[in-house]
Amino acid sequence: MTNQTKSQFIAVASITSELSAVMVVAKEISLAAANAKAIAFRAGDKAKGFQPITDFINELAKETIELVTNINIYALVLYRLTVDEFQKTTAYNKFELAAKMAGDAVYAKSMQGPVDHARLSMQDCQRQFKRDVSQLLGQLEAVMHHARAARVIAANSRIEASQAGEYLQSLQAVAESVDKAAHTIHDNVQRCRIALSIYRNS
Amino acid sequence: MKTTKIYEGSHQWIMFGRDEGKPSNIVDTNQYVVRTANRCLLLDPGGAELFAPMMAAVLHHAPVDQITDLFASHQDPDVISSLGLWDQALTNAKLHAPAVWEGFLRHYSCESIEYVPIPDNGGTIKLESVELQIIPAHYLHSSGNFHVYDPQAKILMSGDVGAAIEAPDTPVFVDNFAAHVEKMRYWHQRWMPSNQAKRVWIERVRNLDIDILAPQHGRMFKGDDVKRFLDWFDALQVGIAV
Ligand SMILES: [Fe+2]
Ligand SMILES: [Fe+2]
Repeated sequence: MTNQTKSQFIAVASITSELSAVMVVAKEISLAAANAKAIAFRAGDKAKGFQPITDFINELAKETIELVTNINIYALVLYRLTVDEFQKTTAYNKFELAAKMAGDAVYAKSMQGPVDHARLSMQDCQRQFKRDVSQLLGQLEAVMHHARAARVIAANSRIEASQAGEYLQSLQAVAESVDKAAHTIHDNVQRCRIALSIYRNS
Repeated sequence: MKTTKIYEGSHQWIMFGRDEGKPSNIVDTNQYVVRTANRCLLLDPGGAELFAPMMAAVLHHAPVDQITDLFASHQDPDVISSLGLWDQALTNAKLHAPAVWEGFLRHYSCESIEYVPIPDNGGTIKLESVELQIIPAHYLHSSGNFHVYDPQAKILMSGDVGAAIEAPDTPVFVDNFAAHVEKMRYWHQRWMPSNQAKRVWIERVRNLDIDILAPQHGRMFKGDDVKRFLDWFDALQVGIAV
């Protein structure tokens, strides 16, 4: 296996692992939102500004989970493509070697067809991989967007929490956990993007 | 790859083996090719490592598009782990292999090649006017295992039966049977699991008129050495690991 293929396998595998971490965190956010809703309900008027925020957080978490689920399906396609490309590249190299080893054999020229065909299907795979990587990067960008939005909401929550009297601490904790989660998602997705960016369609 | 023509008549049998480029940590194998005017059958085409030298060797005898048939005596990697590569190189080929191994062999990838499952009682492979018989050899050593007999050339391709592990660049025929026995004993005792299966096979094979017994490893047996081998194998206790 060449280093190029190896790092491609690693890049694709790392997406899956980073994304499963994102999934866990997104579920945490959704839980935090449910928590916040309960507290805001108890706080009544004191947390009036907080109530719409909890719905917003919940919505955001749900969308992130949905996005990540889709991206995971994409990642699986990318993995299959990588396996396919590896097989095709192996075949191409072996065919070329066979043609070379055949030297001046009577039928050496008949190997040209399989060599050409293998080269074309290998290149097809490479192109397809690049196309799919570009698309995946677009979807990862959407997740980043959600993470950024979550951080803005967390900042707003903090302000609202400061007016919630005795509920200040618990609401602040909610804002804190949303902020932390959004941060983690941002970092994980960023790592995915860096791992993939070298394969993007230029 | 060393090439030896072992039959020349209306068609040819060619043996390939003793590959100089083979990594020393993989077992040496013999590949056989049956060549008719416009078609070519590869018997136990070998491992993935062997694909390029094997293909190159075949190109001295047939163009790629005339490699129309492959035969796998059983599922072992030294027999057929090259399947995925042949599958990408050949556009119009069949693989004749044990029916019981189909779902397993497909792990090597068999998409453009047509898998022709051989039922337990064997069958035939027709190559233009040549008809080869597929002889059951189950449990020798694999649970789904076949040999190929050519009644015209009087050759029995016997898979792992008759095999021996030898030094590189060994002659292709047994020249001293008594000395050769020691190179085969442990192989047969350890790899062949069933005395009953062995007895049934010997009975079946004794009815065939065989000039050359051609195993997948080691040396071929010619003339009287074929009978010597069958007698020796008959008397041997196998399945010694339990
Ligand atoms: Fe075997
Ligand atoms: Fe073998």
